[in-house]
Amino acid sequence: MAALKKEELLDQAESAVDFALKRGAEEAEAFTYQGSATNVVIERGQIAKGSRIIDRGVGIRVIINKTLGFSYTNVLENKAAIEETVNKALSLAKAGKPDENWHSLPSKKTLPPVENTFDNKIVQLSSEDLIKIASVMLNAAQKVSNKVFPIEGGVGAAYLSKAIANSNGISVFDHGTIMECSLATIAQESGEVTPVCFEFNSERSYSLNPEWVGAEAARLALSALKAKRTETKTTSIIFTQIALQELLHFTLVNAVNADSVQRDQSALKGKIGEEVASDIVSIYDDGMLSGGLRTWKFDDEGVSRRKTPIIEKGVLTNFIYDNYTAKKEGKESTGNAARAGYLSTPSAEATNFHIKSGNKSHEQLLRDVDDGLLVYYLQGAHSSNPVSGEFSVVAAPAWKIEKGKLAYAVRGAMLAGNIFDVLKNISELANNERKTGELVAPWVRIENVKVIGK
Amino acid sequence: MKDILDKIVNLATEKFSAEYVEVRVQKLCKTMLTLKEKNFEAAKQGIENGAAVRVLVNGAWGFASVGMLDPKTLTEAVSDACKMAKAASSKLRTPIKLVEAKAVEDKVLLNVRKNPANVSIEDKLKTTLTMSETILQYDVRMKSCTIDYLDLNGTNYFANNEGTYIEQDKLYVWSRITATAAESGIFTFSREEIGSTAGYEIFDVETPEVVGERVAKRAVEQLKATPPKGGIFPAVLGPNVVGVFVHEAFGHLAEADLTLCGSVLLGKIGKKIASDIVTFYDDGTLEGSFGSFKYDDEGIPAQKTLLVKDGVVVGLMHSRETAHKLNMKPTGNARAEDFRVEPLIRMRNTFMEPKNHTFEELTEDIKFGYYFKSFRGGQANLDGTFQVGIQEAYEIVNGELGKPVRNASISGNTLETLFKVDAVGKDFELWPGRCGKGQTAFVCDGGPHVRVKEVLVGGST
Repeated sequence: MAALKKEELLDQAESAVDFALKRGAEEAEAFTYQGSATNVVIERGQIAKGSRIIDRGVGIRVIINKTLGFSYTNVLENKAAIEETVNKALSLAKAGKPDENWHSLPSKKTLPPVENTFDNKIVQLSSEDLIKIASVMLNAAQKVSNKVFPIEGGVGAAYLSKAIANSNGISVFDHGTIMECSLATIAQESGEVTPVCFEFNSERSYSLNPEWVGAEAARLALSALKAKRTETKTTSIIFTQIALQELLHFTLVNAVNADSVQRDQSALKGKIGEEVASDIVSIYDDGMLSGGLRTWKFDDEGVSRRKTPIIEKGVLTNFIYDNYTAKKEGKESTGNAARAGYLSTPSAEATNFHIKSGNKSHEQLLRDVDDGLLVYYLQGAHSSNPVSGEFSVVAAPAWKIEKGKLAYAVRGAMLAGNIFDVLKNISELANNERKTGELVAPWVRIENVKVIGK
Repeated sequence: MKDILDKIVNLATEKFSAEYVEVRVQKLCKTMLTLKEKNFEAAKQGIENGAAVRVLVNGAWGFASVGMLDPKTLTEAVSDACKMAKAASSKLRTPIKLVEAKAVEDKVLLNVRKNPANVSIEDKLKTTLTMSETILQYDVRMKSCTIDYLDLNGTNYFANNEGTYIEQDKLYVWSRITATAAESGIFTFSREEIGSTAGYEIFDVETPEVVGERVAKRAVEQLKATPPKGGIFPAVLGPNVVGVFVHEAFGHLAEADLTLCGSVLLGKIGKKIASDIVTFYDDGTLEGSFGSFKYDDEGIPAQKTLLVKDGVVVGLMHSRETAHKLNMKPTGNARAEDFRVEPLIRMRNTFMEPKNHTFEELTEDIKFGYYFKSFRGGQANLDGTFQVGIQEAYEIVNGELGKPVRNASISGNTLETLFKVDAVGKDFELWPGRCGKGQTAFVCDGGPHVRVKEVLVGGST
């Protein structure tokens, strides 16, 4: 299945829009998407699988009398299939109910330049190249200790492209690459099994460090052995980026979404201009971040990406908007519309949620803690209350910090609290920024977190 | 379809010397609605057709997925899958083998009263709108609700080089309802899912009014709830929480791929891991249940699998690969979300068997503890540490239900906790849900009310 070219994707989107308008749509929009991915998979200590996945399709939104109809198909071979999809969207719009808050689709604007989102080297990688990278990672892990068992992981390279056309003159195309390697491990010793330890590296350009990922995943598992219970107390916590991402994704990131705010689902409603975090905290939603995992020229409605300050020196400054939520307030979209490929309608989501780094090294951050926990990942963050920001999760793996040093691994410790208290209790930020999911952040130190141990 | 798939299968064995090859073709239509308060985001419909080819060459897996069904694309997919397998086999230490399976030829047709394909979009809009109205009118403190609705209709075709050919109609109806309430700075959140393979008739039982009221009532009652105390307490778990506990804390560890990764159940077959009154099943045969199907995505018939009997581990959940590896029988647990992905070992309807106690008997001896009635989410780890987040809970004081408690979660070690189960109720409920393991699977979990001597409660006070 040959990849569709820029002109083909744009042409399909534009002709779908034209056809919809001819058939009576007042407004129309088409989103064409294709993704192809090659993966090499590690299962239970060996490279056991290779896969190649090609997925593409078109999603069409039409509006008649403030009523939206949406239809998608992955059958792109012939014009008739796309026209049938348009017709389906039209009949859904006719059957639906008007939304008084609907204003209009976005209009054409100049797109910003973005950097380091496409690397032809990734496109040209063969499966043998990926196997080589996976071997380097696996060997690095296995060299660390024979107590460590790499349970799963792999290397993947993907090329994604998308085009959006609408009846307000938008007709845009962008493409990008992404590459990732990851390894999950456990360590075993005299009947003890550690929690799953995990490392990964995702980049938009050909610049992975598989050796570090393998060695680090193994080192973590090894040092998670001989875990002990800890006491119940209120203490300092250092969160690594992965733990922080899990926690914020289900709480703060929801709370700054305009859809949550407008619908009384955010504890931050009405708090613009107020101090909501410690004054060392500045957070930007940066859709144009160089090499960012979620960086594109435009969002999934064709609106230019931008950098939106969310919290500046502890003060809440903005929420994130897609076209619909923005126009509901008479504002401009912040370029945060996102979709699940061609399969869904757009809604507001964070792009690169960038927490500004501090000056200290992460080693120094650790050395400065007299008594606390270092938490690598969380279990159960998705069961947080997305509205109130309350969480109650397991820290696993985690290590006890005593007098600036890691004393021992901690088993089964729970953390409970509220994200908005956590934000106010951030006392330090390290300078070891990295990308994980939507989050770009360093390690952070938080005071006064309730740990429930035994 | 059989002719095309046979050709593809033969190509893999003859041209690329594949030891095993399977082709899955999916033809699928979805209808989706998202309603936020009284506004429909859009009425949505889509088509997802595609094919997946999975092969074993030199003992390594190769997989290719394409969104087109023409012979040329399918031929390319076979070639891609075989080449990927060959490349992967270069570093292989232990070749992958599959347990033997009986060849099957079958055509599975739907048996539903109300096929959602025959229900008008207007009716579906009305069902979701009624839910929303019920929720928002329940109490002035109800602030918002989101109703997602999905129905999925289609046919899966399966062929392999061992003579199995299956055509299986698929039907799912699902809805997720979330709602929030607020009063003087307190925010509560309540969620519920309904799901069925039996058709649109699910809404005759779980009517929009019944579901809407259940969600709204919880959100409002939680407004007067307080955070729980942190620490170790006795607890009674409701069927909904028992279900997620069986699924998360035990079930995942008994998925044989995870067991083989070193989960705490490795080497525990035939060993006691729970008190005598604990019996668990994973059952793919319950008619109409959200986790049921006739054949899995390796062409193995679904069955009722006994996992724990009277506290002893007697079974695991298998794919053909893990069944071979552990020298056990296949169980029909290999499921693929769609044509884009490979089958993985997934649960179906997972539950604990009821015994003989009434609810009052479970609570009466507890001086101070908690009744955890309904969950919000859960997650397990291979070392046996589980976490279940709770959306509805109450204190138990001197054997009686007391104040509501919000945003609690429970945790512990699965094996330690299973020995602390000291009384099992005689009631039984099964709840639909979705399970994430890289892919989404539709499942049910459930059981009776259960008392646990002690469990770690994560509370902020």
